[in-house]
Amino acid sequence: MKDSQAFDHRPDPELGAALRAALDPKDDHKAFVARVVAQYERALDRATVPTVDVLASWFRPGIAAAAAALVAGFLLGRTVLAPVPASIDAAMALIDGPGLAALVTASDPPDASVVFSSLVDQR
Amino acid sequence: MLPDFPPPPQPPASPARKGSSDEDKGLVAKTLAGDRDAFGVLVERYAAQARRVARAVLGDPDDADDAAQDGFLSALVKLAQYDTRRPFGPWLMRIVANAATDRRRRRNVRQAEPLDPALVGGGPRPDAAAIRSELGARLRAALGELPERRRMAVVLFDVEGYSHAEIAGILGIPEGTVRSEVFHARRRLRTLLADWKEQAR
Repeated sequence: MKDSQAFDHRPDPELGAALRAALDPKDDHKAFVARVVAQYERALDRATVPTVDVLASWFRPGIAAAAAALVAGFLLGRTVLAPVPASIDAAMALIDGPGLAALVTASDPPDASVVFSSLVDQR
Repeated sequence: MLPDFPPPPQPPASPARKGSSDEDKGLVAKTLAGDRDAFGVLVERYAAQARRVARAVLGDPDDADDAAQDGFLSALVKLAQYDTRRPFGPWLMRIVANAATDRRRRRNVRQAEPLDPALVGGGPRPDAAAIRSELGARLRAALGELPERRRMAVVLFDVEGYSHAEIAGILGIPEGTVRSEVFHARRRLRTLLADWKEQAR
């Protein structure tokens, strides 16, 4: 055995042998090997089945997400692509009553009653 | 704190180990082709080593065997990921060490096993035969006192003969840290061994 305070990059055979004896399993080596090899098929099967399960579990939310994206895209597209009125007159014509037209076309500052009546007309 | 260790030259792989490595690669190729017997030979070849490494982590031999088995089967499933340009042993030991660590975490096994004071010194001195028979228990108890990474480092280095670089790969830590861990573990274990030799005289 070597000096316990010295650093040595080579394995210590005495300490190694003592540790090996302390850690070596006492039971049958062959029995352990047989036990592991007996799990060969099961391990490979287990490795395959969960992969399929995982893919299947991803598939269902994937379809739901794709459907939600399609609906959202449709609604967004409909909003963005809605026909725009050709002119300001056409836009004004969509709103009943003189309130809004008077407010937009007036050269003087708007009167509060006009603004109010415009809002009431829209309701 | 340890002084900075100069990077030591790593001993070249022995011819026996090199030959064994080549055989391993052949066995891996056969296992990948579906040869169950080839897998059996790999298990036979590394079983003792895997069980010791797992026992260094877990302490309990039954837990260690379960972890070693988990490691072998996990390696079987991941075998296609093994890079055949590298030695098989360190790759397998990394998986086994991870399996043992995972099992320890799952079962909430404490990192430091409770120690019997009589086993680690200070207790009454038994006769020489009893001391000899207790050495293994003392070493296991002393290993249990060490941090897990230190335990694995010293076992992989002094028992299994892996290089610092290989252990660094197995444990996923820098080579300098491996040297430091081995140094600290040896200091504790060598003291214990020296005491035991003194008592045995």
